[in-house]
Amino acid sequence: MKWASINLVQDRKEEKIMLKVVHYINQFFANVGGEEMAHIPAEVREGVVGPGLAFQQAFKDEAEIVATIICGDSYFNENMDEAKNTIIEMVKKYNPDLFIAGPAFNAGRYGVACGAISKTVKDELNIPVITGMYVENPGADMFKNDIYIVSTKNSAAGMRDAVKKMAPLGLKLAKGEKIGASIEEGYIPSGKRVNFFEKERGSTRAVKMLLAKLNNKEFETEFPMPDFDRVPPNPAIKDITKAKIALVTSGGIVPKGNPDHIESSSASKYGKYDIEGVMDLTEETYQTAHGGYDPVYANLDPDRVLPVDIMREFEKEGKIGSLHRYFYTTVGNGTAVKSAKGFAEKYVKELIADGVDAVILTST
Amino acid sequence: MIITNNDWVLNKYKDIYNVVYIDGTFKDVLIAVRDKIHIGHELLTHPLGSSVKPSETPYKSVIVSDNKNYTSFDSIYMIENAIITYDKFNKDKLKLISDKVKEDLKLIDLTVLESALDI
Amino acid sequence: MEVKILKLELGYIFIKDIQFSDVSKVENGTLYVNKEEVKALILEDQNFKTADVELAKPGESVRIMPVKDVIEPRVKVEGPGGIFPGMVSKVDTVGSGKTNVLKGAAVVTTGKIVGFQEGIIDMSGTGAEYTPFSKLNNLVIICEPIDGLKQHEHEKALRFAGYKVALYLGALAKDLTPDEVEVFETPNLVEGIKMYPELPRVAYVFMLQSQGLLHDTYVYGVDAKQTLTTMIYPTEVMDGAIVSGNCVSACDKNTTYHHLNNPIIYDLFKEHGKTLNFVGVIITNENVYLADKERSSNWSAKLAGFLGVDGVIVSEEGFGNPDTDLIMNCKKIEAKGIKTVLVTDEYAGRDGTSQSLADADVSANAVVSAGNANEVIELPPMEKIIGHVEVADVIAGGFDGSLHKDGSITAELQVITGATNEMGFNKLSAR
Repeated sequence: MKWASINLVQDRKEEKIMLKVVHYINQFFANVGGEEMAHIPAEVREGVVGPGLAFQQAFKDEAEIVATIICGDSYFNENMDEAKNTIIEMVKKYNPDLFIAGPAFNAGRYGVACGAISKTVKDELNIPVITGMYVENPGADMFKNDIYIVSTKNSAAGMRDAVKKMAPLGLKLAKGEKIGASIEEGYIPSGKRVNFFEKERGSTRAVKMLLAKLNNKEFETEFPMPDFDRVPPNPAIKDITKAKIALVTSGGIVPKGNPDHIESSSASKYGKYDIEGVMDLTEETYQTAHGGYDPVYANLDPDRVLPVDIMREFEKEGKIGSLHRYFYTTVGNGTAVKSAKGFAEKYVKELIADGVDAVILTST
Repeated sequence: MIITNNDWVLNKYKDIYNVVYIDGTFKDVLIAVRDKIHIGHELLTHPLGSSVKPSETPYKSVIVSDNKNYTSFDSIYMIENAIITYDKFNKDKLKLISDKVKEDLKLIDLTVLESALDI
Repeated sequence: MEVKILKLELGYIFIKDIQFSDVSKVENGTLYVNKEEVKALILEDQNFKTADVELAKPGESVRIMPVKDVIEPRVKVEGPGGIFPGMVSKVDTVGSGKTNVLKGAAVVTTGKIVGFQEGIIDMSGTGAEYTPFSKLNNLVIICEPIDGLKQHEHEKALRFAGYKVALYLGALAKDLTPDEVEVFETPNLVEGIKMYPELPRVAYVFMLQSQGLLHDTYVYGVDAKQTLTTMIYPTEVMDGAIVSGNCVSACDKNTTYHHLNNPIIYDLFKEHGKTLNFVGVIITNENVYLADKERSSNWSAKLAGFLGVDGVIVSEEGFGNPDTDLIMNCKKIEAKGIKTVLVTDEYAGRDGTSQSLADADVSANAVVSAGNANEVIELPPMEKIIGHVEVADVIAGGFDGSLHKDGSITAELQVITGATNEMGFNKLSAR
């Protein structure tokens, strides 16, 4: 008799409660469409959609994706407050134990959206959150100190690898377990140092690191120095009245209509435009493409961001030699540092070839 | 010039060196040092001398040059980093130390200072 | 006779247990110690009024504090000089011949030299995971100084007591056949180039704490404060040419045990002749006076250049201002086109978010971290305390309420002897 009753008690205890998960993805991963559908507002669907299936399989019987929230990247980035509020209400309804966003890989606007919505869910609803991005995604830099961002490959080809890391870490967070060092758990170092035990002692690791460094092989430092990135200034222009000056901006000023479709955030390109004979930028002829500041004043008078009118005045008055006929522009909003560097590396050659002596760089 | 809040240092060296006595905390000493550096005194000893942490000792002595010259960026960098380092330690423990321990800490600060004066 | 290759054979006698006995000897892996003889040896120094000796073995519920130094018993079997030259032996150059080691044993000195003393070794529990000394069979020395003894005299007396007892124990191994022998050979510069023309040349830049009372290191008995950066054979260090008078901080000061067993020297030797040519060791200090720091680091870079090495590993000792020496050494050596790897610990604050080092430079792009010393840990209560338990509250890294009624301690990792050793002795790291 005693034996049977023990069994009954055990059976009852084994009734596991599955953790509830809400998953956030964008229009592309929901198979709604590509860039052309990036404007769709947030909607919620029951159960799993797209990559959620991979997560579900990884969770096995420990957790269940009860709902998936789908939102267009442009919609989110351009209507952030409204989108956040709507999505918070959606998440609240399900009262999940975990919120997963993405993974966003290297998609900049998607990464920013995943980071922003995850942080909001964490801050306002106190629910554990996790997302995944490629380390160079601008969303990573923006949010790595606020939420756990698993380090993923730079394209959707890395989905399996991403899920492999995100699922276990997600479960740990949901269960309130202690989270180890970034290198153990797979998240992007967040500036919070966590101790852990390596397999080998420090001296052995030092010898191995030196050998790698000596043989020009890749190695990873265990403590990255703080980012210095100081650019020593060039010597001053000797005679500014004879100098050819170019205007360059990350403020997103483009010809009206944005003919080259420079994105309002996470720009993937820059534009080079001819202002030969243009004395003044006006509302009819130019505009801003930048999605990170209120565009009203820049659209009314684009000189406010790209001061062509003043430069022409100076030219006339002999204060500068001349204004270079081309200006270069991109949108600095959530644009990866690597991309920005890449743009400049390309057009700086043109500036030098064109005999430009100095550049006025405007940013916002 | 010795900037210190350790009265043992003051008493031992006030007639030999230019001693600026700060009646305050470890941080007050660091701030006084920083102020002197900004007006052109050069840092001669490291402001975080000794491995006894700012959370363990209230005493600090630092040597700067007697004369003013140009403001040294290296000195500024070092004193500012020292202040940042100081701020990250929890100083609650300092309230607990007994007089005997205070004497020992003054001694350590004095000997570390003297290791620099000997040269 | 020209010595083209300096050779030292270390003979390990593995110690698996330690016991008190009527006769001090080593038998079947057990170290037997005559307690009274050791006490008498310590009391030869009239600066001590009482002396006691206790045992602490791996796995026991024992806490030792405050720890001053840990020393490994060794003895010179063949070759010039004696262990700890310039301290308790004559100044003859060591590092060649044969030396026997009681591997698995250690002498631990304790004592309140100053009121704020620090250093805990737990032989079991959480704390044991963070110190290598929990795995050793320890002979713990507890001695009280005579009344009115000045702190620096007390420190010196305790330091020498430790070495004397270590030599006493080491002597027990002199005529024994080692269980295992390891051979270390350092060719001179010319020989080395001939033997390994293709291998990258590597040196070890070994930084020594040198700032005053409780912060000193001795090289052949010379206070490192007074030295110019210089060179030493790696095997000299194995015979105790460098010893510690440094007690601060517990987690990142190099005990004499660490010096004798310098893991960077050991691991470089492992690769010597295979993937690199371990040319030698450059020792340099960490004075408080800034001009000294500049001078010492200038010399480190100069010697590294003079030796024509391709790369160096640099290890530091201590907290705070040594970070400046570390970065100076790094910058100046890298400026000569010599590649560096630095080994250091971190003080990233209790939450791990503060700037880990007191100095930084972009050229320090290869760093091995020994962990964040500010991380808070819980040490369970231990049944037996050897030393002075009440120091826990004032102990380095501890804070208000860190010694609890049940004997458990909440403190930062800093308090544990050897926890974040900057020679890379341990596996602890941080990311």
